[in-house]
Amino acid sequence: MVTTSQTKPDKELLNQLQSILLKDDRVTIERLQKTIDDPVLFSEKVSPIIEERMNFFKENFPKEFQATVDKMIERKLKASQEEILDVIYPVMGKMIKKYVNHQIQMVKDGIDESIKKTFSGSGKGFLWRMKNSLFGIKASDQIIHDLRDFQVEEIYVIQRNSGLLFGSASTENTIDQDVIAGMLTAIKSFVEDAFKREREDLEMIEYGTYKILLQNFYSYYIAIAISGTMSSSEREDLANELLNFATEYLKSLPAEPDGETFKSISTALNDSFIKK
Amino acid sequence: MISRKVILTGSFGVGKTSLFRRFITNTFSEKYITTIGVKVDKKTVEVKGQEVSILLWDIAGEIKQDKVPKSYFLGASAIIYVFDLTRPSTYKNISTDMKILNDILPDSILKIVANKADMVNASAIDTISSELEESIDVITSAKTGENVDELFLGLAADFLN
Ligand SMILES: Nc1nc2c(ncn2[C@@H]2O[C@H](COP(=O)(O)OP(=O)(O)OP(=O)(O)O)[C@@H](O)[C@H]2O)c(=O)[nH]1
Ligand SMILES: [Mg+2]
Repeated sequence: MVTTSQTKPDKELLNQLQSILLKDDRVTIERLQKTIDDPVLFSEKVSPIIEERMNFFKENFPKEFQATVDKMIERKLKASQEEILDVIYPVMGKMIKKYVNHQIQMVKDGIDESIKKTFSGSGKGFLWRMKNSLFGIKASDQIIHDLRDFQVEEIYVIQRNSGLLFGSASTENTIDQDVIAGMLTAIKSFVEDAFKREREDLEMIEYGTYKILLQNFYSYYIAIAISGTMSSSEREDLANELLNFATEYLKSLPAEPDGETFKSISTALNDSFIKK
Repeated sequence: MISRKVILTGSFGVGKTSLFRRFITNTFSEKYITTIGVKVDKKTVEVKGQEVSILLWDIAGEIKQDKVPKSYFLGASAIIYVFDLTRPSTYKNISTDMKILNDILPDSILKIVANKADMVNASAIDTISSELEESIDVITSAKTGENVDELFLGLAADFLN
């Protein structure tokens, strides 16, 4: 017996057959298509998978990638060593300075404390302490002060780059002060260059019993040779005097040092620091 | 009276210190003691009735000028670049060196000095100067003193202009 369907053309028959056989699959494909096309649906499905991968990655990253990262960092550090040093150096310098200052302060406080104990009640101590408190001197400063006697031996105002002398004064007749100024500048350039300390300038040179303090300004610096020892507070005072001197006499320096300037600055230096 | 900074530079052993000493103290030594760091000295010369103080910086020689700390050059009114006529290696970098120095101090006087003239004959000097990419300003001998004062007096005159 021949059914009606058999009379139909083959193609249609095949289609029917397909839709029957593949019906479920078609629905599935449609659903999948929709899921893929719709961002919200898609992300709902995919997110958990990605998250799982990420978690795996997080947990296993050190183990799997440690070596690569280490190599990368090492290479980077080597390549930019200079820059890194530049950043670290000043910070370390300041930290060390701070620490040293702190230690010195502690020693001073210790002296103050022991003096208080030694002299409390005794007449001599009382007068002594009164004198100190009248003049606002702390005992530690007084004691350290008695040990020393500092003297400004020479003072120079020097053009920063050229090392040429703007003016100078000295307790003795030093010859060739401009050669000394040049050498000081050369030493300063050498040290600052050798240690690549662009942010910090050389501040002191010690030579035998002499100390040469260097106070840097913008286009010039002042060098002071000192004999004896000075406390940090005296050094601070001197620094302030220098600042005052600079604002009074060094505000409008010529681009090239000349004879006129030299005379007037030298006289002022002598009056303010040597003849005192 | 004016003061000016002048710096001697160039490769090592070319005679910078010898020119320095010939000019400052009018002396010469055959002994070679290489310069470490910097030495500064002064001499005052008179040009056209005017006193000019030359603060002369003698620095350690370097094969290439970019090795010299830049800060040494700063503030110099003149750079004297010395080479040794007997050693080609001391003038083979001259063009690059000139460029480096020009970049550091574009406004300063730059003099090229061919030293140790006493050791070579005139025709050898001619050959060198014709093959050199830069032109020689002064030919000197620190040993005989030839042209040494002239070099510095010339600079002093330049400073006055
Ligand atoms: N014959 C001769 N020898 C010279 C002359 N100038 C320098 N010399 C010798 O060359 C050598 C080196 O001279 P220096 O003046 O020390 O050279 P320099 O350029 O200062 O060398 P560094 O400081 O190392 O850079 C020494 O032995 C000098 O005696 C010269 O004009 N003629
Ligand atoms: Mg030398």
